Amino acid sequence: MTQRMPDDIRLQALMVSYQAGDLAAFDQVYGLLAPPIRGYLRRRTASPEQLSDLVQDTFLQIHRARHTYDPSYPVAPWAFAIARHVWLMHCRTTGRRPRATDAIDDVPLTVRAEAEAFADRELVRDALAQVTPERRRPLVWHHVFGFSFREIARRLGIREDAAKLRSSRGMADLRAELSSKGARPKDRDE
Amino acid sequence: MSDHASSPPPGLRATIAAELRPVRPLRPPLVRGLALVPVAMVLLVAAPLVFEFRDFAALGWSWSWGASILQLGAGLALVVAALRESIPGRTWSRAALVTLAAAPVAIVTAIALASWQRSPIVLAGPGLIVGAICLTASTITALPATCLAVLLALNAYPTRPAIAGWLAGVGGGLLADAGWRLFCHFSEPSHVLVAHLGGVLVAGAIGAVGARSLRRARSG
Repeated sequence: MTQRMPDDIRLQALMVSYQAGDLAAFDQVYGLLAPPIRGYLRRRTASPEQLSDLVQDTFLQIHRARHTYDPSYPVAPWAFAIARHVWLMHCRTTGRRPRATDAIDDVPLTVRAEAEAFADRELVRDALAQVTPERRRPLVWHHVFGFSFREIARRLGIREDAAKLRSSRGMADLRAELSSKGARPKDRDE
Repeated sequence: MSDHASSPPPGLRATIAAELRPVRPLRPPLVRGLALVPVAMVLLVAAPLVFEFRDFAALGWSWSWGASILQLGAGLALVVAALRESIPGRTWSRAALVTLAAAPVAIVTAIALASWQRSPIVLAGPGLIVGAICLTASTITALPATCLAVLLALNAYPTRPAIAGWLAGVGGGLLADAGWRLFCHFSEPSHVLVAHLGGVLVAGAIGAVGARSLRRARSG
């Protein structure tokens, strides 16, 4: 069943308001465009998590490109061109680098001084699983896979300082979890 | 399937709200391309004024100034094409891109052959050195227009920055060569097509690489 496209005249008016700085207009633009864009991206990725990230990234790029929208043209081709661009950039990025995973068992916990100073690796792995995905992802991507916060921010569709904050909070959660499990800093002689 | 309304996720909405401010929509590509007209005018007369004008007696006004103004127009048209390419949803089709790639080659070749027919001046002196000078000089002369056109394109949202940059660079190259050919009197086709057209194409390559690099740098 094909997805019915939203009323473009209404969308054009909303885009003009959005360009003028109206947040409520953005909400409505999102409400009208998100379903068809989600449908477009769903046909290109099987992962629901990736789909959610891609949709968010698309709207972030729509936000950054909003000055390029010309009200004398329909909105949909403009928006879908950005969605397609986001998808292609995602393919290029994931094709070039190892796929960062959230599955804890896949995380190669190698030498990480802080965690290793606390406990053995299984304990760390269990504690990491208790950290919320929102915080665990930036933490693992940065400290294990070596992505910069700028790259993490771009992938997640958030600001760089937000990525740092989430990673930092993830680390604090990990410490708290390890402490609650009775892990303690190892002496250097142990 | 119903297209039910949905709300933006809180994180996304917060990011948008934090960055939201009124923006002025970009003007149409044709209007934005006019920014290069002053640069084009300078490029048209710079080389001949600094050095000297070639002898127009055999060429006449049509194939001297007329051909250069035609080339100037083609250069500006390619810059406008680059600016349109930089708008999501308004990129050029493959067929259009082939036409846009072939047009500068066709224009420079046609002007070169016509000029040779009317005013055949064989290259004097070491051909490689003269060719290198013309190619280098026309490429350098094209840089200001190329840079301006690339920056204008990047101020939009090029989803194919290399293509936009290529169009901008070739446009800048044509603008530069429009003036350079009013100075360089060697009309031998091999010289014109290698050194002068070569300079145009090198400017295109510089535009493509520059646009792609700057786009990546801005995207992080």
